[in-house]
Amino acid sequence: MGSRAALLLRATPPLFSFRKSAYPKALVQNKRFYTVKSSLDPPDVARLAETARISLTPQQVEEFGPKIRQVVDWFGQLQAVDLQSIEPALRADTEGDNLRNDVPEIFDNRDAIIAAVPTYEDSYIKVPKVLNKE
Amino acid sequence: MLSSAQTPRLLRSPTTTTTTLKCFHSSPIPTSASTPPPPSQILTTRKSLLSRQTSAVDLAKSFLHRLRRHEPQLSSFLHVSPDETVLKQAEELDNKIKNNEEVGPLAGVLVGVKDNICTYDMPSTAGSRLLENYRPPFDATVVRKLRERGAIVVGKTNLDEFGMGSTTEGSAYQEGHRGAQLQLFLLDNAWWHWEVILVEVSGNRASFCGVVGLKPTYGRVSRYGLVAYASSLDVIGCFGSSVADAGILLHTVSGHDKFDATSSKREVPNYASQFVPIDYLESKPLKGLRVGVIRETFEDGVDSEVISTVRDAVSHLEELGCTVSEVSLPSYSLGLPAYYILASSESSSNLSRYDGVRYGNQVFGDELNSLYGDSRAQGFGSEVKMRILMGTYALSAGYYDAYYKRAQQVRTIIRNSFKDALDKNDILISPAAPSVAYKIGEKKNDPLAMYAGDIMTVNVNLAGLPALVLPCGFVEGGSAGLPVGFQMIGAAFDEEKLLKIGHIFEQTLQGYSFVPPLVADEWTC
Repeated sequence: MGSRAALLLRATPPLFSFRKSAYPKALVQNKRFYTVKSSLDPPDVARLAETARISLTPQQVEEFGPKIRQVVDWFGQLQAVDLQSIEPALRADTEGDNLRNDVPEIFDNRDAIIAAVPTYEDSYIKVPKVLNKE
Repeated sequence: MLSSAQTPRLLRSPTTTTTTLKCFHSSPIPTSASTPPPPSQILTTRKSLLSRQTSAVDLAKSFLHRLRRHEPQLSSFLHVSPDETVLKQAEELDNKIKNNEEVGPLAGVLVGVKDNICTYDMPSTAGSRLLENYRPPFDATVVRKLRERGAIVVGKTNLDEFGMGSTTEGSAYQEGHRGAQLQLFLLDNAWWHWEVILVEVSGNRASFCGVVGLKPTYGRVSRYGLVAYASSLDVIGCFGSSVADAGILLHTVSGHDKFDATSSKREVPNYASQFVPIDYLESKPLKGLRVGVIRETFEDGVDSEVISTVRDAVSHLEELGCTVSEVSLPSYSLGLPAYYILASSESSSNLSRYDGVRYGNQVFGDELNSLYGDSRAQGFGSEVKMRILMGTYALSAGYYDAYYKRAQQVRTIIRNSFKDALDKNDILISPAAPSVAYKIGEKKNDPLAMYAGDIMTVNVNLAGLPALVLPCGFVEGGSAGLPVGFQMIGAAFDEEKLLKIGHIFEQTLQGYSFVPPLVADEWTC
């Protein structure tokens, strides 16, 4: 991987901890590429593919495995940061919900919705049978 | 395959470019005695139409002609409306003008819309085979607003599948020629009244193409009709050839929408009125403005030429009267992994709707799970599959706390650190990208290297803040030099300030409008 990219991907070292309103003054620059080996089980690509309902060939499982593991290891650096008492932010804004009234409205282009259905028969959307998992 | 097509064209140096550009802008439009309008293709178009100098049909015809000539080399469109459709709309507009009827502020403006934004009369594929030929039953709110104000949507532009990527190499259909380098140049073409609406989930594209890019605050523009990638991060923004055009477009599409619960109810100021003509500016028009340069964005990992070009832009701001200081955002480097955790996780959820049952390409199976599995396997490209799998992992039971929740906590930290910095400064500055445009294939096999290119914009997206990207120079590369952009970040909903500053910067800095080789070669003035 390009060394320049590696420099951009470095994280702050573990000695760096956050509290709500205080930031350490000196930031030690760790120039080496930094990941944390996760204490969690590594990704089981085949199982993930089943959960995500994507049929992968064994070859694709082989191919994706190392790449996914590499990225997930890189994600792992967040585990090294002390995030105690920081509220998780659902989104950026603080405006709260601007929900519309809970009143049903008729959509005026239902035909186009039906036209998009791949297998449609006689007002039914047709799908194959559901097999029970063994 | 494409390397042979990258024969260097005879290039024009930036100085020649300026001269030719000025020449174009002084095409014979009657000057009025009152305040000259800001340089804006939208306003110029409107003026020439209303003064009967030209017709919408003529504008459309010449544009379509050029488009068909360049498109084979640029591959920037996935779908172009048939000529008759476009010309018919132009004709209707011309008739209205003939009858002295009211026409909207975007009358005659030709627009390209990124293909992950729904248009009911054109396919909307989000760059994916899964949605090949999908025709949405409605227009996205932004498209509806553009059309209501007189714009003509000419086509749908290319993108990486579902927006995952920075170069269109991830598009299931075609690679934009020279990757991001020229991907959107034509669309955003100053010389041919061409504005683009597109999604800036993470935007370094404007920088690569030498155009103005404006990404508004999260919630400023409705996401209804945008094919969702990461719902807490998706933002629709616009490109323009000038800051004024970007501002006018933003004004058109902003506002609360009952169909988007995350759209803000805040009033929309008149973004189009921020632009003071250059002759009316005092010598230090930005006096008193506090500019914070983000230290972490000028450090190792960023091209030295990009750094020096952006620093020149900062000096220019100082000459205009700004007080420049350095600002540190200590959490900066955590933004990239946090962003990708959030984006993968949310996209794994958002893309679960593509099951092949109600829309999209279906691979029928003998049982339901195969239908799902095979439709998705054949419809999604590799990058999309990988991100879904990573997201699935990050959200799995027992892993949520370690990844997704932590990423959200990092988002809080980043949001707060930006807020602190913006309490002490009016705007913050960084390069728009750590490098200039990549060559095709350069980043293809290395996902982390590709992600690293987003370092300048992910933090802004996590904080949901508005940003304006402006071209500020060139570096060596390509056949005509490659453009460099810098980014101005503002406080939430402070697009007015960004536009005002951006406009003054643009007007007082000469010689940095990027003229891509294909256009330069056939320029006659």
